[in-house]
Amino acid sequence: MTNPVSFSAEPLADAQMEGYLSRLESALRGLSAEEKGDILLEIRSHIADSVAPAQDRDAAAARVLRLLGDPKELAQRYKAERMLTRASRSFSPLLLLRTTWGWAKLGMKGMVAFFVALIGYGIALALTITIVLKPIMPSRVGVWWGRGDLNVGMVDHPERMHELLGQWYVPVMVVVAFGFAVGTTQALRWLIRQRTPKQMY
Amino acid sequence: MYSAEHNGNSDRSGHWEAQLRKGCLEMAILASLWHSRLYGLEVLRALSEKSQLEIAEGTLYPILSRLKAEGLLQSEWVEAEAGHPRKYYWLTPAGRRRAREMAVAWSEFSTNLSALMLPILGVKQR
Repeated sequence: MTNPVSFSAEPLADAQMEGYLSRLESALRGLSAEEKGDILLEIRSHIADSVAPAQDRDAAAARVLRLLGDPKELAQRYKAERMLTRASRSFSPLLLLRTTWGWAKLGMKGMVAFFVALIGYGIALALTITIVLKPIMPSRVGVWWGRGDLNVGMVDHPERMHELLGQWYVPVMVVVAFGFAVGTTQALRWLIRQRTPKQMY
Repeated sequence: MYSAEHNGNSDRSGHWEAQLRKGCLEMAILASLWHSRLYGLEVLRALSEKSQLEIAEGTLYPILSRLKAEGLLQSEWVEAEAGHPRKYYWLTPAGRRRAREMAVAWSEFSTNLSALMLPILGVKQR
């Protein structure tokens, strides 16, 4: 007890802390080495400060580790916070999809955002594919109307339906697909900015 | 936060209060740094001593990290006598502005709601 920060005299508290930190380190995979080192040093410092003044250091170590929570969950919070901050300023569908996927694991609002991302970008992607296919199969790709049914893209029996757009298909669908992509991006950025700590935790 | 949320006695009002407290975390953390630079553990102590706001360390640190990424906080490692460095946080000018806006909004909000709530507690006004 002469040196309040040395854990060598209390191997159990020491082992608990090192075990926790190494699990946290592997859970933080994906962050830059600098970010990771910074987080680990801060958590290490916090544990040491919490344990140092305690009479029963093993109990104090167990308590602070419980309050820090499961290392995987802690790492997930750091990552989600970081990605959400970055994504709220981003226009990249890929980053927004990845971010909302991580967010979806944390709660309902994240799941809603993820489905918005999936459906919105999914429609934009599907329309883009039909735009590429139009010059290849001009007689099968279009906006089809027939028997009270409206179909966009490819249909199996074009002879039974009317095509509405003709040569306007490509320019109109470029605008619509672009609109879906931009609209989804804006909606997600809005959802991310609307989040409060209540929804994050 | 965990104790309030996971105590399993399904006390609805307790859960509601926990939600309210969580919603105020960001504001409370910024407010705790109004007068001085603090490291994580000191932020926790300040919140618990001055506002009975008990938050888990696993909640605090990711929020500090985000507030810093948003440019509201700045931080610096300082070597301490304890033998390990401590990461001190302080408000940036943007952080001070945000804290002031939140304080104004909060104080108006709570004054207005209090006028509504006080009769329930049997307090006569004016």
